[in-house]
Amino acid sequence: VSQLSVQALSRALDERRVLVVCGSGGVGKTTAAAALGVQAALRGRRVLACTIDPSRRLATSLGLDRLPDKPRALDLDRVAPDRDPRGALWAMTLDTKRTFDALVEKHASSDAARRRILENRFYKQVSSALAGSHEYMAMEKLLELSADERFDLVILDTPPTRHALDFLEAPERLMGFLDTGILKWFLKPYFVAGRLTLKVATRTGALALKLADNVLGLQFLQDLSEFFLAFEGMYAGFKERAGRVRALLRSDDAGFILVASPAPLTLDEALYFHQRLDESGMPFVAFVVNRVHPDPAQGFPATRAAADIDDDLAEALVEVFQDQRRLARADRRSVERLEGVTGRSAILIPEFEADVHDLRELKETGDVLFGVGGERRGRARGRSARRLAAADGAKR
Amino acid sequence: MVLDDLLQRRLIILSGKGGVGKSVIGTALALAARGRGKRILFIEVDAPLTASRYLGEAPVGGHETEVRPGLSMVNLVPARVMDEYVREMVRVDVLARKVQGSPIYRRFFAAAPGLPELMVLGKIMVLEEEKTGWPRRPRYDLIIVDAPATGHGLAFLRVPLVASNAVPVGPVGHNARRILSMLRDPKRTALAIVALPEEMAVVEALEFQRMTRDELGIEARAFILNGCHERRFTGAQEAEILRRVTEDEDGRLAPGVTLQAALAAGRRHIRRRKLTQFYRKRLEQAADAPVVSLPLLFTDRIDEAALETLAGRLEAA
Repeated sequence: VSQLSVQALSRALDERRVLVVCGSGGVGKTTAAAALGVQAALRGRRVLACTIDPSRRLATSLGLDRLPDKPRALDLDRVAPDRDPRGALWAMTLDTKRTFDALVEKHASSDAARRRILENRFYKQVSSALAGSHEYMAMEKLLELSADERFDLVILDTPPTRHALDFLEAPERLMGFLDTGILKWFLKPYFVAGRLTLKVATRTGALALKLADNVLGLQFLQDLSEFFLAFEGMYAGFKERAGRVRALLRSDDAGFILVASPAPLTLDEALYFHQRLDESGMPFVAFVVNRVHPDPAQGFPATRAAADIDDDLAEALVEVFQDQRRLARADRRSVERLEGVTGRSAILIPEFEADVHDLRELKETGDVLFGVGGERRGRARGRSARRLAAADGAKR
Repeated sequence: MVLDDLLQRRLIILSGKGGVGKSVIGTALALAARGRGKRILFIEVDAPLTASRYLGEAPVGGHETEVRPGLSMVNLVPARVMDEYVREMVRVDVLARKVQGSPIYRRFFAAAPGLPELMVLGKIMVLEEEKTGWPRRPRYDLIIVDAPATGHGLAFLRVPLVASNAVPVGPVGHNARRILSMLRDPKRTALAIVALPEEMAVVEALEFQRMTRDELGIEARAFILNGCHERRFTGAQEAEILRRVTEDEDGRLAPGVTLQAALAAGRRHIRRRKLTQFYRKRLEQAADAPVVSLPLLFTDRIDEAALETLAGRLEAA
């Protein structure tokens, strides 16, 4: 059964134009996205892996720390000299503030409007610091990159939100916001005169304004109003692009890969996410469960012979073995639950004994995913995991 | 000692990236403090599953619920906090409902950047300052906050500073400054950073320490390193395991436990232990606050017994 999932993932790497890697924080999304990028490039595709928050060592080894927000070509010859020669890999890190700035540069209706936005106090804080802007900018960037002719596949790592769904809902949220009266409300000159001109049609409207003044203060509302006014003329574009992302993410060109760890909480999120994808007609590709504890008994044939070993050591070893087995069993139950609920099999990546830091390790992680080098996936995984561990041991 | 230091403040904020076990540690910390006779409130922010489940209790909502004598829990959902605030401001239920029912109100709240965080922090401040009884005394001796793990976790704490810069006058700026001065006051607030013995988690914990200090003026008081693999073998035993694991010996140690499998498990443990040690050293060298190590628990699920184990370790640290 799991073979089917591997095939689905494999086909997606061959055929789709956009793959979105989702999951809650701390499950290894960034590494998975980068590792899949390497695999797609080995198959001859021209891939851009767009990461959000790589570890510093990964960023350094891929050269991303020096080039924020610009795709950087990576040299695959060293790790895969005999790959499909058409394949190529770029990587980049999304920088929310730069993306926002570039967007303003590109779409502002005039020089004056551009300056008004870039110098707005509110904008300066909002564009870099605050929650929500990450998702909007990831969305804008995705649209831009998917139209870039250098790449035929974009793999997008999603922002580390508490609720992975935030990203998915960003286009709707933005469209919803632009659709309500709220914007018109802010664009009317209630605030500009320095006092509330209460010619509001309804009683509730008047009350809401009064309340807003009490709660938030006139200054806040004025700043916000100015901020929104500065963007006037760009809204149609925002809305149009949000609509395009929405359509793209629902098309056959796109695919979602859900990454989870066996921890119940992240698994629950993955389940919920899957359900939401299903409901909204977005194309699901595969579950990847990362950091699965391996069963310590796996790969060792049973025996009845007595072992020649010191009693104390034997006792301590059995304890350690049982502890690891308990974790492995708990993980297996988690995975079975995921598979039972969704009817989909999961692709498992065992917990490695070291973090993944460079292109070679990324390639090996992907090899493990696809069980390269063996008919039996489990075996191959075990071997690769050991190889990785050995490689790590050699470095220290 | 570390615990003594933390418990001298009324407010402890636990920060760290997602998946490091903040809510487990927060609950263990609450139990340790409860052991000292304090009245405690444990605050979670928009938690999908609340920490009350570790104690076998039903999920808690937006109202403080006493789950054990002296230990209350609450799950603050920003939109609910805002609703409550509006009700207090308007004072007339019908009108409050009318405002809350309007789509403009809902969508404004969802789209106004930073407002949800500010509301939650404001509520935390109100709880921290709340007095009860006669003579008046603080309602809670200790409030532990499991801070949301968005991005670098900094986004949450940064909001009051951003708000007081962006909107210097008016109620927003005023309240933002009050929140900020509470967070910056080392007599009132202690920031504890939670990490795992892993590359990303340690690097981010240290970055977090630097950024809270440089950008926000908040000093971290302690680091808590969760999920540590502790030594299980003597040095001689470890050497023997590493030597024999590469051989191909027959034999078993117990039913279902072959010697070679157990040796391989032993080697896996040794590598993890060394990684733990490596990252703990790195953290200790770069951290400007004490580091407390908590062991990885090999339990299927977190229950009260597991939490008491961790609480005991916090007490001993």
